[in-house]
Amino acid sequence: MDLGQFLSDANNLAWLIPVGPLLAFLVITLITNKATLVSADEGGHYADHNHPAYPGLKVPVVADWSRVASIVVGMSGVIAAWLISIAVVTNAAGVADFGKYVLESSVRWMDTGAGGFSMGVLVDPATVAMLIMVPLACTLIFIYSIGYMAHDPRQARFFSLIALFSGAMLTLVVADNLLLLFVGWEIMGLCSFMLIGFWFEKPSAYKAAVKAFTTTRVADVIMLLGIAYLYAVTGTLSFREIVYNVEVLEGLAELPAIIIPGLSAAGLIGICLIIGTIGKSAQFPLHVWLPDAMEGPTPVSAMIHAAAMVSAGIFALLRMFPLFEAGGHPHDGVYTPPLLLMAIAGSLTAIFAATIALAQNDVKKVLAYSTISQLGFMVAALGIGAFVAAFFHLLTHAFFKALLFMASGSVIHGMEHGEHHVHHHAHDDEDEHDHAHETPLLAAESHGHDAHDTASHDAHGHDAHGHGEHTAHAPHFDPQDMMNMGGLRKTMPVTFITFLIGGLSLAGFPLVTAGFWSKDEILLDAWYGVTNGYGPHALVFVLLAISAFLTAFYTMRQIGLTFMGEARTEEAKHANLGRGVVAFTMTLPLVVLAFFAIFAGFVGVHPDFPIFGSIFSPNGNPFFDFITTSLAVKPEKVGFYWVPVLTSFAVGLGGIGLGYLMYWRKPLVAGQEDPLVKILGTTLHTTLKNKYYFDELYTIIFILPAQWFSKNVAYEFLDKGVIDGTLHFTGRLFTWIGDFIKVMNAWLIDGFGDGLSEMIGRAGIWFRRMQSGSVQQYLLIVALAAIVIVIVFALSTGVLQAAP
Amino acid sequence: MQPFDLLASLPAIAAAVGLTITSIVVLALDMFLKESQRRNIAFVTAAGMFLTAGMMLAFWMPTAATEGLYWGGMVRFDMLATMFCVIALLGGGITALITIDVDKLGRSGEYYLIITVSTLGACLVSSASDLIMVFLGLETMTIPLYVLAAFRRDDKKSAESGMKYFLFGSFASAILLYGLSLIYGFTGSTNLYTIAEYMGSDAFTVNLVPVLVAITLIVVGFGFKISAAPFHFWTPDVYEGAPTPVTAFLSVVSKAASFALLVRFALTAFPPALAINGAEVQLFWTNLAAVLAVVSMIVGNLIALAQKNIKRMLAYSSIAQAGYTLIGVAALAADGREQAVAGISYYMLMYMFTNLLAFGVVILYSNATGKDDIRDFAGLSRRSPWMAIAMTIALLSLAGVPPGAGFLGKFFLFQAAVLSNLTWLALFGILMSLVALYYYLIVIKYMYVDKGEDEEQAIPVSGTYRWTLAVVTIVVILLGSFAVQPIFNWAMEGAQTLFASL
Repeated sequence: MDLGQFLSDANNLAWLIPVGPLLAFLVITLITNKATLVSADEGGHYADHNHPAYPGLKVPVVADWSRVASIVVGMSGVIAAWLISIAVVTNAAGVADFGKYVLESSVRWMDTGAGGFSMGVLVDPATVAMLIMVPLACTLIFIYSIGYMAHDPRQARFFSLIALFSGAMLTLVVADNLLLLFVGWEIMGLCSFMLIGFWFEKPSAYKAAVKAFTTTRVADVIMLLGIAYLYAVTGTLSFREIVYNVEVLEGLAELPAIIIPGLSAAGLIGICLIIGTIGKSAQFPLHVWLPDAMEGPTPVSAMIHAAAMVSAGIFALLRMFPLFEAGGHPHDGVYTPPLLLMAIAGSLTAIFAATIALAQNDVKKVLAYSTISQLGFMVAALGIGAFVAAFFHLLTHAFFKALLFMASGSVIHGMEHGEHHVHHHAHDDEDEHDHAHETPLLAAESHGHDAHDTASHDAHGHDAHGHGEHTAHAPHFDPQDMMNMGGLRKTMPVTFITFLIGGLSLAGFPLVTAGFWSKDEILLDAWYGVTNGYGPHALVFVLLAISAFLTAFYTMRQIGLTFMGEARTEEAKHANLGRGVVAFTMTLPLVVLAFFAIFAGFVGVHPDFPIFGSIFSPNGNPFFDFITTSLAVKPEKVGFYWVPVLTSFAVGLGGIGLGYLMYWRKPLVAGQEDPLVKILGTTLHTTLKNKYYFDELYTIIFILPAQWFSKNVAYEFLDKGVIDGTLHFTGRLFTWIGDFIKVMNAWLIDGFGDGLSEMIGRAGIWFRRMQSGSVQQYLLIVALAAIVIVIVFALSTGVLQAAP
Repeated sequence: MQPFDLLASLPAIAAAVGLTITSIVVLALDMFLKESQRRNIAFVTAAGMFLTAGMMLAFWMPTAATEGLYWGGMVRFDMLATMFCVIALLGGGITALITIDVDKLGRSGEYYLIITVSTLGACLVSSASDLIMVFLGLETMTIPLYVLAAFRRDDKKSAESGMKYFLFGSFASAILLYGLSLIYGFTGSTNLYTIAEYMGSDAFTVNLVPVLVAITLIVVGFGFKISAAPFHFWTPDVYEGAPTPVTAFLSVVSKAASFALLVRFALTAFPPALAINGAEVQLFWTNLAAVLAVVSMIVGNLIALAQKNIKRMLAYSSIAQAGYTLIGVAALAADGREQAVAGISYYMLMYMFTNLLAFGVVILYSNATGKDDIRDFAGLSRRSPWMAIAMTIALLSLAGVPPGAGFLGKFFLFQAAVLSNLTWLALFGILMSLVALYYYLIVIKYMYVDKGEDEEQAIPVSGTYRWTLAVVTIVVILLGSFAVQPIFNWAMEGAQTLFASL
């Protein structure tokens, strides 16, 4: 096919979106990932403070050119994806009656017994919305990573993995069928495994990686079952053919499911798919992996929590929403089992994670639980049929959560910076250090090298944020612990302002932040149900309102502890990002995202909202009108109510106010206990701090029995007893048979085989005798041969002629 | 008969014209150049041949309009002729290049002159369509080879081989001439097409048996040229005794041209439809070809197993290769005939390159060391790894192992056999290829596994050899991979036009 012609068709353009990052992944992995093994004890090249120490080990250190090359290749890939996405979005905007008509292109991928299976890309309004958010967020995360990973010995590996990660996410977004979506989904699962365990020398990191992988795997298997069942029933996995086709949906809703009585096929498939999302988007009870995933580098956390992984889960739900809804009508109070599952799981997750977040002191863990909680908002919203509101919240949340994660990464980076500074003071004279600080441009990079010499390395041992077993060692400074911070607003002003914007957006600060508008939308939908007396709507409304209050509170607590008051440790006093390239690449994305954290909300303002409605939505809610065209049956619009708006105001401002009173007006000083402990009581606080003991519970319920089973039953009994026993017996049996065959072989097969080759060889020697060198003999043989041929011919013709 | 048109007739003998000019230039250079500069004649010879081949391919490709008999019906201008002319020209050119540093040959102008004349004969043979032309062409091709075989007069072996070749050749010529004269006697014509027409008509009343005797005599004559068993006896002695470049030349060029002639002769003089007294004549000679194929494969492969001298081994290998190609001739009788003609053309093309590559390495090696036993190749992979790789590729191609061109060459021939309901013959060919693998691999084993005497001393390779062998190696690999499709399609096209004219 002619490439130019292929690309000039707007339908085909979306194929190219994932190509850039995937190519970048290949190029970096195969070409620019050149490393040499350097002993970890020789500080020199290896002076990264994000990275754990590996005393006595050899670590691969990427060559300088490969650092640069991997950055250039990775950036080119993701920027290409971004630009193509913009082109696709522009093209989509040019399609008349977009939504009914979409950009799509597919190829026959596999011929199956039940007709062909096509793979392709689809650009409908939902895709367009994601294409505005995902590539932009990915690009910013890449930019941020340049600074964040600048001193990591495995930087190239990092870039190749996040390139694959974004490639997979983009594949998922443009996929036109569930299987391709699942492919992207699984690649992301793999990437998250490798990225969470990026610092795999740290036991806590690889354990977190395994935990994330196994937990999501459980969910993915169930999801795959759902996909398989869907394919078995409908013979297709294409989104347009299933969810945009009312007949198929009705058929599925009426068909009773296999195995489980009383459930429709649509219900069973829906529940399977939702379980997949519960794993991927870390909903209760499969949420346990996500807080541990904070072991990965911070850009990865942003990737997982904002742009990619968890959004993918929600996006899959949004894609298949009509299927969940099939047979029910939440607007009229008719719920299907998948909807109820989402409503209950979502709202419970929202409040449950929000309470845990209250008591966390780790700056990233707070955000992790906040993510779980916010995802709960979206799932709960879908459960009550608020498709548009859930989608809206997905987008705004992606922006402000990416912002918060990257800002917290900056904080951690700054704290580590401060930590080195302090160590440097302890071990070295000040002049040299200042010198490093005053070097312009690349000061930040050289700073890393200078500050972190061998002496401080040895003296410090484990300098990075080690958890788990590492904490068992000597007094340890945790740069992620908010109790160690305070007063950072002075040394890190840009980070502070952007963090504040993100935090207010998350808290739902009324009217001016994106988070307010999307949360308000969800509450509005829920309240509509309450006014009609629908139970699940009421549950969602109450739980989400409380969660929103808690969210506002813990966000203020986080900001207060981190940025307000005076520095509680020496490290915090010296925390900063330095100057130069690193600092620039780490703050630029924050500023860009801060813009979206405020303004992204204005695309979905309710048209009847006083003043704002008439400014931003004079012709009806633009986001609503746009996004609902990707559904075959448009959801009904919900009217305007004052109660949810006032609730939003109350919980947002209330939470913020309470947080302000407790943590801003009287900031904590060093050594002071968190005032929350007194209010909640030690028992409750400890329970929350330990995440309701879920990890311990799972250890007792799943892990210990599994270990016992694998040791006693699988290993001792099955493996050693049954299998080994059988094997040993079989082994002996076959040895005996082998001996027998060997004897047979010796005289029968060898006799024949060797004999044959020997015969051929002898024949050669015998024939060779004819080659005597005497021309007379040769000519005689030729003459004889000619005569023989003539005689044979003569005889055969005689026979032939006599025959008829 | 059409009026004579010189310009339209010239492309039919383009190769002959080009070679005549080349030979005159070579003759002149031989006279005027000093001894020290005579080695440049090789370049002139090769350039003349490559240029002729290139011009033929570029400007004088036969088309449906220009195809036909020219020069009073003496030669036929068609795709088959062009293809085999090109094979002969390329073979001759490469031979000239790999002779360049050979003692006594490389610096003598008459050597190149004789090669050129012999190639000229091969081109005439490829396009001959008249009994007179057939015989003339064959003699023009062969008589220079007698001289070449005995070129090293002071070497006893060389002289003996020249003598043997001459005796055997004249014997075979006599037999062939007897066969041709019988045909003329039956039909009163020397043009192949007229003969076929006459034999097919009612005027032809001769009994079948004399015709078969004629066929037998002719096939025996050809059998000598293509070194098919049991008419192969000259081959090992001549191959071993003759200077190696000469061996290389006669193993490919004279064989390819003879096959072209065999195919054309068999198909035109005894076309598929021809039946005498209710018996299909074609079946006789295809069956005869099948028998010769089997005998050649057995004799060639089995005796090759027992050889110690690499040139003798390659001689028997060439007998076996003739056997494989005869499978294609045997397949001319039935549905696979187009495939068979194309297969034979392709096989000869790839065999020309492959065998010249193998001989090129042998020439290089024995030039440097003066040895040509298989055992002497021990440790070559460490001495000169590139030479060892070239040799390995040549041997694998001869054995029919991918990525060498030989695999597909054999594949096409066997496929033709299967299409013509000769599955047993194809299976036999495969079996014999297995046997052949042994003696080819033995050489590779010596080169790579065994330890040689002076391993640290690399074989000196001059630029001409390096480039020639490198290009030929690449061509062999290309013919076994990317170039198969266009080349085979070309051969297939040639085959189709050949049958369209019957």
